Amino acid sequence: MYYVAKVNSDMCAEYKCNTCTLYCPEANTLMFNKDGNTSWVDEDRCKGCALCVYVCTDMLDRNCITMEMAGHEA
Amino acid sequence: MAIDIYKINPEFRDIMPKEIIDLEENATWAQNQKKPRGIKEMPDTKEILEEHSLCAGCPEAAALRYVLAALPKPEETIIVNSTGCTSLMFPHIALHTVHSLFGNQNAVATGIKRVLDWRFPDIEKDVVVLAGDGATVDIGLDYTLQSFFRQENITTICFDNEVYANTGGQESGATPKGQVFKMAPTGKKFEKVKMWELATTAGCHYTMNMTASAPKAVAKAVREAILVAREIGPTFLNIYTPCILEIGLSANEGLGEMKDQDKDRFASYKFVSPEAEEFLKKCKAEGKL
Repeated sequence: MYYVAKVNSDMCAEYKCNTCTLYCPEANTLMFNKDGNTSWVDEDRCKGCALCVYVCTDMLDRNCITMEMAGHEA
Repeated sequence: MAIDIYKINPEFRDIMPKEIIDLEENATWAQNQKKPRGIKEMPDTKEILEEHSLCAGCPEAAALRYVLAALPKPEETIIVNSTGCTSLMFPHIALHTVHSLFGNQNAVATGIKRVLDWRFPDIEKDVVVLAGDGATVDIGLDYTLQSFFRQENITTICFDNEVYANTGGQESGATPKGQVFKMAPTGKKFEKVKMWELATTAGCHYTMNMTASAPKAVAKAVREAILVAREIGPTFLNIYTPCILEIGLSANEGLGEMKDQDKDRFASYKFVSPEAEEFLKKCKAEGKL
């Protein structure tokens, strides 16, 4: 049982922003979908450091990313 | 020549992992691109770094992503690394890497660069040294400075985390005065070695001191440093990538720490020699930057 990042794609798509994808320390984990204009997380690779939450919430005040239990569908 | 090693034999294509196929089809190799490589492609292409074994939230891993995304020509680049946390990442990189003994990375890079220049006189080969502060400032200081004195055409990038993090937290030359670690309980007695100033004095043509808090700035510095090293002479980048475990921060606090130090110990320092400046202007006019 561990936490991974989850992007709320509806909220994320409102902004033209891929800042979180640049700051993630893992390669090809937090990716950007150009068609949907939203970031998405490869949950198998996410180590759960929550740096993206810091970027989205504290730096940008957009609150689109939350930490949720892996495999848990809300 | 070099990019051919990533081509998959058609016979084995159906049993290859998705990541390997991605590397061939979706990675940003310089010869497939019209524009110079940069971090702007990072969010939707395959990176040259694969799942690595560094801690969750490690700023060094983020810095390595920027460095690899900014290499002007990865298929013709050789990375020389040294012992430390950085050496944990190198088995996960799709480039030629050389792991030398602790501290002699610049001596090894010198040899590689000279042989490559002799063997492939028509191809621009980049040799990049990536090492921690222990290897650059303490154990390998002699080799590092000597390679600057000799004006070798190599780029040296120091991931400065101000501690021997991999071995449990001993103080290094780059540790700031007064800092206490688990294996250095009395606190450091003397000031941090300003390696970027030493590098400038020793003859580097492009020296920078920065944190990894701004991805674009790191990528720009790496690209410029490698281009200058190709033509003019040695270049040195000192990038602050704090060890969040050793200084007692949570996994998501590394970026905030780097932002704080942007104004303090790692206030921006940049030295560009006149000939390097002229060369960079020429590169910009040619669209290489």
